[in-house]
Amino acid sequence: MRKTCLGIAASVVMAATAAQAQETIKIGLIQPLTGSVAYNGKTDVNGATLAVDMRNAKGGVMGKKIDLVVEDGQCRPAESVNAAEKLIQRDKVVALAGAFCSSATLAVMPVAANYKIPLITGVSSNASLTEKGNKYFFRATETDELLAKSFAKVVFDTLKLRNVAYIGVNDDWGRGGVAEFEKQMTALGAKTVMKEYFEHGTTDFYTLLTKLKSSGADGAFVAAETQDGSIFVKQKAEFGLPVKVFGVGSWATADFIKLTGDASEGLYAAVPYASTMTTPKNKAFVDAYVERFKEPPGKYSAAGFNSLNIMMDAIERAGSTDAEKIRESLTKTNYEGPNGHFQFDAKGQATGFSVVLVQLQKGVPNVIATTTVEH
Amino acid sequence: MIFERRFLLGALAIAIVFPLLGWSEYVIHVGVLIMFSIMLATGFNLIVGYVGEFSLGHTAFLGIGAYTAALLSSSLGMPIFFNIAAAAVVAAIAGFFIGAVTLRLRGPFFVIVTLCFAEVLRIVANNWVALTNGPMGIAGIVKPAWMAQQTALQQKIDFYYIGLALVTVCVYFAYRFVYSFLGRAVVTIRENRFVAQSVGIWPYSYSLLAFVVASAMAGVAGAFYAHYVSYVGPEVFGFPFMISMIIMVLLGGKGTLIGPVIGPVIVVLLEEYLRDFKDLRFSIFGLVIVAVVLFVPQGLMGFVAARREQYARK
Amino acid sequence: MDFLLQLLANGLVNGTFYALSALGLTLIFGLMRVVNFAHGELYMVGGLIGWALTELVGANFFLALLIVVIATGAAGYLIDRWLIERVRNQGAESGILLTIGISIFLTNTALLIVGTVPHKVLSPFANKPLFLGPVVLTQSRLSIVAICAVLMLAVHLLIKHTTLGRAMRATVQDAMAASLVGIRTERIHGFTFALGTALASAAGALLGSIYVTQPTIGGLVSLKAFVVVILGGLGSFAGAIIGGLVLGVAEALWGGYFATGYVDAIGFALVIVMLLVRPYGLFSVKSERA
Repeated sequence: MRKTCLGIAASVVMAATAAQAQETIKIGLIQPLTGSVAYNGKTDVNGATLAVDMRNAKGGVMGKKIDLVVEDGQCRPAESVNAAEKLIQRDKVVALAGAFCSSATLAVMPVAANYKIPLITGVSSNASLTEKGNKYFFRATETDELLAKSFAKVVFDTLKLRNVAYIGVNDDWGRGGVAEFEKQMTALGAKTVMKEYFEHGTTDFYTLLTKLKSSGADGAFVAAETQDGSIFVKQKAEFGLPVKVFGVGSWATADFIKLTGDASEGLYAAVPYASTMTTPKNKAFVDAYVERFKEPPGKYSAAGFNSLNIMMDAIERAGSTDAEKIRESLTKTNYEGPNGHFQFDAKGQATGFSVVLVQLQKGVPNVIATTTVEH
Repeated sequence: MIFERRFLLGALAIAIVFPLLGWSEYVIHVGVLIMFSIMLATGFNLIVGYVGEFSLGHTAFLGIGAYTAALLSSSLGMPIFFNIAAAAVVAAIAGFFIGAVTLRLRGPFFVIVTLCFAEVLRIVANNWVALTNGPMGIAGIVKPAWMAQQTALQQKIDFYYIGLALVTVCVYFAYRFVYSFLGRAVVTIRENRFVAQSVGIWPYSYSLLAFVVASAMAGVAGAFYAHYVSYVGPEVFGFPFMISMIIMVLLGGKGTLIGPVIGPVIVVLLEEYLRDFKDLRFSIFGLVIVAVVLFVPQGLMGFVAARREQYARK
Repeated sequence: MDFLLQLLANGLVNGTFYALSALGLTLIFGLMRVVNFAHGELYMVGGLIGWALTELVGANFFLALLIVVIATGAAGYLIDRWLIERVRNQGAESGILLTIGISIFLTNTALLIVGTVPHKVLSPFANKPLFLGPVVLTQSRLSIVAICAVLMLAVHLLIKHTTLGRAMRATVQDAMAASLVGIRTERIHGFTFALGTALASAAGALLGSIYVTQPTIGGLVSLKAFVVVILGGLGSFAGAIIGGLVLGVAEALWGGYFATGYVDAIGFALVIVMLLVRPYGLFSVKSERA
């Protein structure tokens, strides 16, 4: 028995050394591929894969091909840490992207700092991440706080919401979104009439809707991902409730619209990306994405696409796979993505890109307001 | 018994020497995970292998231990060894109360009510934001002060040895428990509780004692894990940990002391190895479980024991 | 008052759905003494097949339901004869671990095949709101509730009044005696598991038209089904229905008057309290055995 254990352990090491002989530049990507947000994780991977393939088709980075190594972090901190350890140790990646859920990213951050590997996220929006003073961490997306700041006023003015109900999925992201929007909306003078959370995978929202109905809200803020959000929206329509809904999460995606059907008519969604954005970069991105994956890209596809492009640009500029040089180079990021311009501030938070408020009309997310994320 | 003692001492010797062979950090990381798993499996085995009841809520104590350590560390700044001891005590107390309630039930009722306790705790941890920080979890649990100046590799090796020390303590306790009159009483209950009662063994209190010891071990494992990963969230109460625990114990061989030591080694290595199969890995993992149940129902140690008996007869 | 009525209506509808999704579990436990941890995954498989037939193939909803029942029933029979058969009489753990293995395999294989996107089973029932006084319901929900009732009644009759049902009950009471009077107990076990599987996946297909279905929902379904079954008493058919309704109403009221974040804990808390007060459930058919 002991012998076999040693044998297995020895082959672990052999696998690790075999991976060292690399012709390519490896970048690790940690996303949830199983679990409750697996669907969203997968679209992120699609975007990232597209970015890498497009770059490789143009000759790669510094003349070498980029090899994207994807690991499943399940949106769980411990699993994501394991995945990061594996990517850094066994695959010898030079940079990391990912871990989707803020709590998972938060757990990976110290690992990245420990090994001095730059880490970029295109998804994790909990405001506290960039306040940790982790200089290897970069965030190429909005924070809950920035999104709330950018849109509270638009929502307050154009939708004329005064009595607002806040409904969020019960995780770090949902709670963060609810907290930030409530803060901003209250500051503008809106009254909070209800604040509730639901679990991932909830199938029945009738109780919540009954509460919403009796709360007298004229608008509901909903932080939910595709699965939960689509059920909520459908049941709201079944319930015949004339409350305006504006959501954050993957609301402007093709799958969401397909799942909700007519029920999505007239919904508002505040998103950092919609496939209907009109920049030329976006048109190219959408065309390539549709050709490859047979559906328009969503928020997370763009996130994966952007984070990988920013990372590859940084490696190219650094002219080296040395972690410290890549990190240096990341701070000087000046990237034009489908949804605008990205640069990082001293804390590693991206600014300059656009976020949009869309309304779903006849299954199309029409942009009704665009703002740029600034501090 | 002699075979078990020799095997365990031999394994300990190998485990002590192992990190000195110049492995990479990743291998040591896997080693730390194995240490963590052995603590859990050894405790869990006391319930499933010796008391003979099948708990699905052992993560309750893992979670309680992890949160105890996380809270002590993050809000009071207590040192790691104090936290581990405190986690053991808190988990043991929780084990006493939960065990007192659940051990009145048997069979599937025990299985499901223990699962319910773990789920309730998970939901509480997820919603009681003021105490547990809810789904955001408790991050940034500080590493021990002496590690501040060390390389990442050295830190991992330190954790490995801390883990090994804790494992040694746990297995030693389990050993003493099993080979005392307590252990024999518990085994009697497992084999036939009516006979046990007739010779004056009161099943409830002996089972409860084993349950409390097992809870304390899970608490220790939780505290160790909290300090190593430096993050604790509600998923420490989750079912996936439970599944690995069950598989480790049953694969290794329940009701033996060696089983919960080799089970984790195999399962952790298997889980890491299956990463190479990407999307297929959990499907394969499921099939491996089915295969284990069908082909080595008594676990590897049961298999070995049967072979040894055959050999002895010849 | 309107608020309370609406909550009660929600609770009762949901409770029926819970009862439906727990029937297969309670059947398999009651007649086989197997705690089936793959229950939620069988439900999920039913939902996905239902989706594939109605959306991809364009089949009629009821035809799809029939195919689901037959296909998964056959699969259930094979699972029992090939796998569960071999661990029968080896104690509860083997069965539990085996079904956990099957559940992990099913979930992740389904993920590989259909991916992570949530899907909906297409049904002919309308989703427009239906106002009964102050209470809102939908045609689709009421129709599914009606189908649930029919299904439950059918299974009840099958078990109580047919030769097959009698053989099933005889087998669980005393397999040895049953085989002595000429019942092929192995086959009966297979049929029982097939029936449980068919019920689980029928529930998945039916409820997949109300909610959505995707590979990862199984775990949650299993947990709720366990709660329902324990509340009613493991193995009791009427109990499962009562348990479902109790859980549905309790969740609705708790969610309505307190925080919805804790809703999932209600069921577990009820189970714990229940087992303290009446250790073997409200309607238990269980007797102590040496």
